[in-house]
Amino acid sequence: MRLTVNKLAKAYGFLWALRELNLDLPAGAFVALLGPNGAGKTTLLKLLAGLIAPTTGAIQFDGTTVTGNDPKARKQIGFLAPADHLYENLTVRENLRFFTSLYQRNDRAANIEAALETVGLAQRRDEFVGNLSSGLKCRVSIAKWQLLQPGLLLLDEPYGVLDGNGVDLLERFLRSHCEYGHIVIMASHHVSRALKLCNRAVILHQGRLSFDEAKQQPWPSFAQAFNEFLPHGESWNS
Amino acid sequence: MELLTQTYLLLWKDLLLELRRRDSVLTMFFFGTLLLFVFHFSFDLPPDKVAEMAPALLWLAFLFTGTLGLAQLFQAERENHCLDALLLSPLDRGALFLAKTSFNLILMLLVEIIVMPLFWILFNLSGWNLLPQLFLVTLLGTIGFCVLGTIMSALTLRARARELLLPLVLFPLMIPVILATIRCMESVLKNGEFGDAASWLKLLLGFDVIFMTVGVLIFDWVIES
Repeated sequence: MRLTVNKLAKAYGFLWALRELNLDLPAGAFVALLGPNGAGKTTLLKLLAGLIAPTTGAIQFDGTTVTGNDPKARKQIGFLAPADHLYENLTVRENLRFFTSLYQRNDRAANIEAALETVGLAQRRDEFVGNLSSGLKCRVSIAKWQLLQPGLLLLDEPYGVLDGNGVDLLERFLRSHCEYGHIVIMASHHVSRALKLCNRAVILHQGRLSFDEAKQQPWPSFAQAFNEFLPHGESWNS
Repeated sequence: MELLTQTYLLLWKDLLLELRRRDSVLTMFFFGTLLLFVFHFSFDLPPDKVAEMAPALLWLAFLFTGTLGLAQLFQAERENHCLDALLLSPLDRGALFLAKTSFNLILMLLVEIIVMPLFWILFNLSGWNLLPQLFLVTLLGTIGFCVLGTIMSALTLRARARELLLPLVLFPLMIPVILATIRCMESVLKNGEFGDAASWLKLLLGFDVIFMTVGVLIFDWVIES
């Protein structure tokens, strides 16, 4: 399992959101995708998910081109949008059953129950998703991707809606997901949290790849890049 | 086989959501009925002109009612970016087209089953034995409307003034279907059979088959553009 991004670029009209981006991630990679607002993080995640088409360049995952419309490639890619991608007027259980069937997982009810138990929503399985808070919706999304087990999991700012228990739950899930050899790319402004989990950091700045290194201890090059490219609202400890 | 399984799954989801919200079918039903009463009180049709005018009025009601349904067709997918969740999945886009078309067809047929007999009563039409033939024409016309409507609804999905844009792009393309259904219905009401209008019926059938096939093939591009 390998993700290869080759000379990827995306323009919205005359504005280049992403330029000449190259990445090569092996199985088990956990990437912290960092950068200030408007750096191109969400655009990159959407390109990797196949939700938008690149202007130039190519993305290959596990030997399949993501930009081509191949259902096999799409089956392997997950996008955890914290409180999105769930039907409000379906119950928690119905949502999970619907999406697992769509991915041809056809999980037995017992697996869905187990996933709900893990995220602490077993008691609320028959509630409509629309009645849940954003944090609980994010837990449903975690249960969803736990059941679907995508080879490449993308996350866009997942910490914003979660409470302390939710953050622990998410981090446990992501760690175990990488241990299975899957690739995780998480865009976040919580630099210290993201760095604790990741084994590689990527910094985008004005649509360009400014930093891409495997995690080290100590990590002076990251400290330098952090000072140069990231907003200084948050302290960072190596 | 996979296409049909996915279509069934999506249709089940849409019907379940509609059963819980009931906003589309109720709005369509009340609007369709309201239009019939407006037509009834506005036009005092002489008996010899009823067969000529009635099909056009009836189809006008169906068109406006159907457009309301089309405007709501992707509402569930617009909430919470659920369309992205579907596009992210290994779903065959053709299945999405078939499911949305079938869902809209079911809603429109439900409304038509109630509205058509009501129209019959309000305009004092005779010959209840003609209803099966008229239902056949209505079914074929409604399939054509839903097929093309689903494609256009998906095309205008991300447009700013989509509620205004949808009828503007849909109605001109619907002209063959409208003409064919009106001619067929007129012939049945006047002569009790399709007679010369049989060629219009074939056109209607051809339109449905062609656009159904085209829809399955191009929906991939339509939904992602």
